[in-house]
Amino acid sequence: MRRSVSIAGLAVALVLGMGVFGPGQKSFEVRAQQKMETMEVKIDNFTFGPGTLTVPVGTTVTWTNKDDIPHTVVSTDDSKTFKSKVLDTDEKFSFTLSKAGTYPYFCSIHPKMTGKVVVQ
Amino acid sequence: MHPFDIKAVLLAKHAQHVVLIHFPIALFLIGILFDVLARGAKRSMFAAAAYCNLAGAAIATVPVLVTGILAWRFALEGQRLKGILLQHLVLGCVSTVMIWLVFWIHFRTRRNDSETLPAYRLPIEALGVAVVTLTGHLGGFLSGVNAPS
Repeated sequence: MRRSVSIAGLAVALVLGMGVFGPGQKSFEVRAQQKMETMEVKIDNFTFGPGTLTVPVGTTVTWTNKDDIPHTVVSTDDSKTFKSKVLDTDEKFSFTLSKAGTYPYFCSIHPKMTGKVVVQ
Repeated sequence: MHPFDIKAVLLAKHAQHVVLIHFPIALFLIGILFDVLARGAKRSMFAAAAYCNLAGAAIATVPVLVTGILAWRFALEGQRLKGILLQHLVLGCVSTVMIWLVFWIHFRTRRNDSETLPAYRLPIEALGVAVVTLTGHLGGFLSGVNAPS
């Protein structure tokens, strides 16, 4: 009798423990996943920052123009994977990179401005 | 990048429009300067220099306009312009018209064997200088002359 009570107590404790810690862990995982899926590149003072961005496959990269001058984001890899329209101040361009590889890009208005996204 | 690919050549990192634009600006401003000198000093030599510079400026606007429009077509795929890019395009076209108008006034006077240029050309020339300067300012801003090297 005593043994069965202690087993039942252990089971209840286990269920309660899962209830308390389970969802928290899950939300942490979701947050971590979300964090991995979106990365920002700032365009400021005629520079892409960071110049080289390394991300996992499936990440969405968002470029934001913080300059007073219009810029574009155009990839220069063989298949020309992404190309933005002209981005005015505070305008954004997002692209999800679903294949591993290196994606060099530049601003077609200012070809000296270059950057790279490495998808692993 | 193939050196004989027209797209590659027009989009080369030394962007032809940015290089060529200096010619009409310089020739036009110097032409106006010689015209003012010719008016003040009453020397036909200055007037001839003004005419030659203005003719050069007018001719130089053609490749500048063409390369500017091609850069828009190729670099931006002709997308609808707005903001500074649109202002630069409109002012560039107005500048071209002003330069040709000033040259035409000088050309017509020479063709008619007239010694004196009409006085109304002066405000037109002044307006031309202002529009060309403003266009150049916006172009320089766009090209990133303020950018860190």
